[in-house]
Amino acid sequence: MKRPPLPVVLVALLLLALGETAGAAMSQLRAPLERWSSARVDANRAVHGLSGSAEYDDEVRARTIFLVEAGLSFLHTHAEGLGLVLFFTSTLVASAVGGRRWRALLYPPLTVGALFPVGYLVYSVAVLELGRDAGVEFAERWVLTVLGGLAILGLLGLGAALAAGRGRA
Amino acid sequence: MTADDAWRLPPWWVLLVAVLLIVCAELGGASMVRFKLELARWARDAMLARPAVHGLVGVRDVDERILDEALVKFDAGLRLFHLHAEGMGLVIIATTSVAATLGGRRAGRALIALLTAGGAGYPLGYLLWSALIPYRGIEEGKAIAEWSVWIPFGGATIVALWWLAGLVTLRMLRR
Repeated sequence: MKRPPLPVVLVALLLLALGETAGAAMSQLRAPLERWSSARVDANRAVHGLSGSAEYDDEVRARTIFLVEAGLSFLHTHAEGLGLVLFFTSTLVASAVGGRRWRALLYPPLTVGALFPVGYLVYSVAVLELGRDAGVEFAERWVLTVLGGLAILGLLGLGAALAAGRGRA
Repeated sequence: MTADDAWRLPPWWVLLVAVLLIVCAELGGASMVRFKLELARWARDAMLARPAVHGLVGVRDVDERILDEALVKFDAGLRLFHLHAEGMGLVIIATTSVAATLGGRRAGRALIALLTAGGAGYPLGYLLWSALIPYRGIEEGKAIAEWSVWIPFGGATIVALWWLAGLVTLRMLRR
C-alpha cells in the first residue's frame, strides 16, 4: 500500500493523540475541569441567565457542565475515529486512485474535514462563553457543519473516483 | 512505487496482537449479549456475598439501589472493553505502520513496543474493572484498574503518539 503525503499522516496522528489525551484528561482532570467550567459560568452570568437564586443557578451550572463534558467526550470518540478514517481513506487515495490531479483534489477535503472533532472542543468552550444554546449553535453552524461537510465531500469524491474506474488497486 | 512512499508493515507479532485484540472485542460484545443474564446473576451473587464491601445494610429498598448501580457499572465496564478493544486494535495497526515507516530504526522499535503494549493493555483495564466490582466495589475496583492498567498503558500510548507526531513533524521540516 502506498503512503499518503506526510502532512496528511501528521494530521491523522495528531487527531489520535488528541483523542487519547482528551480521554485521559476527562478521567484524571474531571474535578478541576468542573471547577473551571463552573467559574466560567459565573464569569459569564448574563449569557447563562444566572438569577442569584442558588437553587436555580446550581441547576444552570449543572446543565452547562454536562454539555461541556459531553463535548469533551465527543472529542475523544470522534478524534479517535476520524484519525483512523483519515489514515485508511488517505492510504486508499494514495494506493487506489490513479492520477495526481484526482489525488490532489481528494486529500484537502479529507484532511481538513477530519479536523471535525476539534469542533467539539469549540463546542465545549463556546457553551461556557456564549451560553448553552448560543454556544451549541455557534459550534454547529461554524465548525461542525463546515468540517463535517468537507469530510463527507471528500468521502463522496473518493467513492466517485473509485466508481469512475480511475482506481488502479 | 519507491520504498520511501510505501507503507512498511510492522513486525508480524504486532499485527497478531492487534488482530487478537479485535477478536477479543468481538467475543466480548457477543458474550455480553449471549450471557447477559448469567453475567448479571454472577455479579449480583458475588456482591450479595460481600455486603460490607458494597455497603449493603439488609434493607431491600436500599440494597437494591446499590446493587443496581454496581450492575450498571459492571455492564459499562464490559461495554467499554468491547468498544476500546475494537478501536485500539485498529489504532495499533495504523500507528505501528507509521512508526515502522517513518520512525527510524531505533526510535521506530521503541515506538512500536510502546504503541503495541499500550494499545493492547489499555482496554483490558475495563475488563479488570468489571471483574473487580463484585469483589472490591465500584470505586476501589476503578482505582486498582486505573493505577495498574489505565495510567501505565494509556500513558504509554499517549507518550508514543505525541513522540511519533513529533518525529513526523521533524521529517517534514527537514524536507
